[in-house]
Amino acid sequence: MNKWTEPFRYERIQLNQTWEDNDLQTETAPAKRAEDFRGTAKRIWQLLSERKMSLYLVILMVALSSFFSLAGPFVVGMSIDWFVEDGDVTNLIYALIVLAVIYLCHSLTVFLQHFWMIKIAQETVYHMRIQLFHHMQKLPIPFFDRRRHGELMSRLTNDMDNVSNMLNSSVIQIIQSVLTLAGVLTVMLYLSPLLTLVTLTIIPAMYVGMKWITKRTGKLFKAQQRHLGDMNGYLQETMSGQKVIKSFSQEDRVIAGFEERNVRLRLAAFWAQVISGFIPKLMNMLNNFSFAIIAGAGGLFVLYDMITIGVIVIFAEYARQFTRPLNDLANQFNTLLSAIAGAERVFNIIDEPDEVTEEADKKELVSLQGGVSFENVSFAYDNDEWILNRLSFQASPGETVAFVGPTGAGKTTIISLLSRFYSPTTGLIRFDGEDVTNFKRESVRNNIAFVLQDSYLFEGTIRENIRYGRLNATDAEIEEAAVKANAHSFIRRFPDGYQTRIDSEGGGISQGQKQLLSIARALLADPDILVLDEATSSIDTVTEIKIQQALNILMKGRTSFIIAHRLNTVRSADQILVLNEGEIVERGNHEQLLNKNGFYADLYASHLKEKSG
Amino acid sequence: MRHIFSALNRYRFAVVIALLLTLTELAVELVQPLIMARIIDQGVVQQDMETVLFWGGVMLILSFAAFGAGIVNSFYAAHASQNTAYDLRNGLFAKVQSFSFANFSQFPTSSLMTRITNDVNQIQNTIFMSLRIMLRAPLLVAGSVIMAIVVNAQLALILVLTIPLLVVFLVYLMRKAGALFKQVQSRVDRVNSVVQENLTAIRMIKAFTRRSYETERFDGAADELRVKMMRTFRLIETTMPVILLVMNFSIIVVLWFGTTGVNTGGATIGEVVAIINYITRMSGALTVFSMIIMIFSRARASAERIGEVFEADVDLKEPGDPYDDALLFNGEIVFDNVHFRYPGTRQSVLNRLSFTVQSREQTAVLGATGAGKTSLFQLIPRLYDTDGGTVRIDGKDVSRMPLKSLRRQIGYVPQETMLFSGTIEENLRWGNEEADENEMIRALKDAQIYDTIASLKHGLQSTVGQRGVNLSGGQKQRLAIARALLRRPSILLLDDSTSALDAKTEQSLLQAIRKYSCTTIMITQKMSTTVRADNILLLDEGELVGKGSHSQLLRESDLYREIYASQHAVSEEEGVHE
Repeated sequence: MNKWTEPFRYERIQLNQTWEDNDLQTETAPAKRAEDFRGTAKRIWQLLSERKMSLYLVILMVALSSFFSLAGPFVVGMSIDWFVEDGDVTNLIYALIVLAVIYLCHSLTVFLQHFWMIKIAQETVYHMRIQLFHHMQKLPIPFFDRRRHGELMSRLTNDMDNVSNMLNSSVIQIIQSVLTLAGVLTVMLYLSPLLTLVTLTIIPAMYVGMKWITKRTGKLFKAQQRHLGDMNGYLQETMSGQKVIKSFSQEDRVIAGFEERNVRLRLAAFWAQVISGFIPKLMNMLNNFSFAIIAGAGGLFVLYDMITIGVIVIFAEYARQFTRPLNDLANQFNTLLSAIAGAERVFNIIDEPDEVTEEADKKELVSLQGGVSFENVSFAYDNDEWILNRLSFQASPGETVAFVGPTGAGKTTIISLLSRFYSPTTGLIRFDGEDVTNFKRESVRNNIAFVLQDSYLFEGTIRENIRYGRLNATDAEIEEAAVKANAHSFIRRFPDGYQTRIDSEGGGISQGQKQLLSIARALLADPDILVLDEATSSIDTVTEIKIQQALNILMKGRTSFIIAHRLNTVRSADQILVLNEGEIVERGNHEQLLNKNGFYADLYASHLKEKSG
Repeated sequence: MRHIFSALNRYRFAVVIALLLTLTELAVELVQPLIMARIIDQGVVQQDMETVLFWGGVMLILSFAAFGAGIVNSFYAAHASQNTAYDLRNGLFAKVQSFSFANFSQFPTSSLMTRITNDVNQIQNTIFMSLRIMLRAPLLVAGSVIMAIVVNAQLALILVLTIPLLVVFLVYLMRKAGALFKQVQSRVDRVNSVVQENLTAIRMIKAFTRRSYETERFDGAADELRVKMMRTFRLIETTMPVILLVMNFSIIVVLWFGTTGVNTGGATIGEVVAIINYITRMSGALTVFSMIIMIFSRARASAERIGEVFEADVDLKEPGDPYDDALLFNGEIVFDNVHFRYPGTRQSVLNRLSFTVQSREQTAVLGATGAGKTSLFQLIPRLYDTDGGTVRIDGKDVSRMPLKSLRRQIGYVPQETMLFSGTIEENLRWGNEEADENEMIRALKDAQIYDTIASLKHGLQSTVGQRGVNLSGGQKQRLAIARALLRRPSILLLDDSTSALDAKTEQSLLQAIRKYSCTTIMITQKMSTTVRADNILLLDEGELVGKGSHSQLLRESDLYREIYASQHAVSEEEGVHE
């Protein structure tokens, strides 16, 4: 029967295959990396111990509750023994009162240990989460260019979720189990060393079984988390590409692509679950074994008067208490393994070298005269062809420099180098004569305002989005910037004006309007250097002329870099650099270049010809 | 919940087997104290070694059987739960693919991602646990009560009284925790959405050095999550101490009545031991309840969130009475008194828009920023529905065409270029899956991008997208055009797709497109494009304010003249310089 065998017909996963983190392979080896189970567990423990006081309290409570949970059965056994032997009711009452107090204390300590532990756990998770996020904020742009966003998001949610689950329950369980184990063992030895020895015969079996299981599950959980991240990446991409998918009716294709990832996830998750599911079953069996052994051997010992009946009763209970912590530990192993797999992925990112820490001893760039020079700058993405080839130019303070050339000539790459998103492969960039790498990246960016090619609006109001340019700007200043950028009139037309909320779909706001808002944002920033990368490409020419006036005022006295395809916007630049295939082929101002009758003149002629039709 | 159960229902066979196996394990566990009592009462007390060994042996065999059942159970339980999760994920993803853009505004991407991965995981865990311990725990409790009654009905009475009380307490807790968990998940969404925004806009954040602003924003979201988590878990963790207290006090009662009963001959010592043993087992099983409550209430919250996606009303549906699927477009497009505003907004974007585009013509759409040009485009492949009026192709209402056959014939190049992770070839295949290499090269050549691609080290096999090689904005644009051309569309829509192209390249591109003899509509800002177009639509604030050829509009429209002047002031001035 097909249905019967179905669960056993899953493809076997190759375990000797190493579950390398695909995404990190391209990286140069990070200084320290959470490599193994033990290392990762140790780091989590370090994070936990940052809350020492609470942690001690929890440990104390666990110790107390373990003591009470052990004391309970002990008193129960005693009261049976006493009563059967003496038949004294006052003794019984006395014993029962003691028992009641023990039980009350037990519940109280259990409550308190969780109460505090949850606080520690959630604070630790919070701490890890923000540490990861803060670190991500410092990572260089190449890091982000190489990874899929959904996959990174998965680390902040799905992986952190596993860690949170583990900390909520496992830490207490582990402390408790270890303590209980020690306590029970002591009492058992005290009661009957012989019977204890008999009970302990299950330990080797336990060890072998656990080793077999965890060897597999460790890798399987890692695989599962990786496939989950991969799926998240796919989700993110297909959702942001909905317009293309829908208009090309490619829904079936992405559904098939999703199913492929889903199958992979299912396979890894299935095996992780099946094999880790063996643990409690194994423990249960060994548990039952010990019960049988105690009953059999204990009965035998009683027969030969080596122990009393009461001892067997207590012992049976203790044996249970002995295997239960082991059982719990084993059960925690699942959560533990998947949490460690998750934490490892989180630490992997945290260990990536970031661009802020590594330049801690660099100088702050407070303000700029505005002199910028490129000296023999070349750039290539790792091992690829040259995008920029020995580029040299100089912008004096207050100058406007325009970059012109066909798409793919390397114009935007220059901006990426200027903003230090990327660093030149060879060559030097100087700001006011000093090598830019002597300064902190962020302090360089602080002095530059950018209008980037892809204008991005955040979820929030229009006002908040403009304010992003300068956080302490007043409402009046925001509106002033909007007026200059020609955005005011369309903002007014919205029923909610500046309070209009922009959602992730951006419904109702056009690409050109987004650009106007980006320009308003840059106008508000009032920087030393202004960078406009195709800032007006989606804006109609009538509006553009109006903005151009505002931009001209802004550019006056400021070093500015402009990229534009519409040549009329670059005409007034002090310097025009004509780029082709990563090299400067011509330079000069508009007139000079026209007189050269070269590349630029050609470009301009076709531009002109087009216009006159 | 309905969706979860119907997904689970497909694996009911595995579910039943898993449950039966759990019952087997359970039976063994319940019989054991009974055997234990027998060993003590009949074996040890009677000094009968044979009985001790016999029952000891029976216990070992039963344990082994239970272990076997447990291992097999692992397979069936994982099979049922993993496949349910698998089906749910597939179902959710397919549903999301049918979403209209209005739905996407309702469910942000980050929230959908959490629902498909995180929430489904919660469900999967819950099913797996249910098939193993959760059912075991209540059954163990019930079984223990019954066994205790069998052993000694009088002593067991205390259990019959306490258990219902605990059940009421647990149900109350579960409801409360469920509501809290829903809040937790929505905080997870929030965290996710901040992260997503940050990843998308990382260049801008760095350019404006808004690191501390963003981290503050994130810390806020993470802190809210922490607070909600803490409150929820603390509530749940009250279960265990309460259950322990109640059950332990029952032990005291049993001890009191039991031992005094031994004296009066009402209960044997073996019976008292057995009942206490059952109670300890029960409190063990009951403490599992705090976990059950957590998992179940979290699962309930997740199930609701999954249900919300499944039940989302997709307003843009396949037509009820569609036209014939096989119709091929000539490409005449008519807008008849079309009104439009984006779902969920109040401002109308298009107003009483009426025009005709003749088949196989090249039409330019011109207008100020925010005039409604892109919105107009999106109505043609029916990415949105109109709010009034109709859009017709070859005289047929688009809203009555099967979506696939409508979109199959349209090549739409959106303003924002979107390439997917993968090779260039894979990206081109989005346009047409069956295309062979020659066709692809043809399309690339026509889109004026072939030389660039050919010069790449891996050519068509170069990777692009979120993790791929760097192409400039203009190169991506042309790749997107090639993707659309590969469809050999009857209607080609270019939304400002030539903005990054220099005039020369643009000219060759438009020339190449002529060969495809498709109806072409292009949104543009450039007069150089409109001059060559057969027809121009001039839009202003959502209304059509001019239509005709370049020279016609130049004569008739003030706005057109203004736009013309904005681009020509320069060139005329330039003429003097030359």
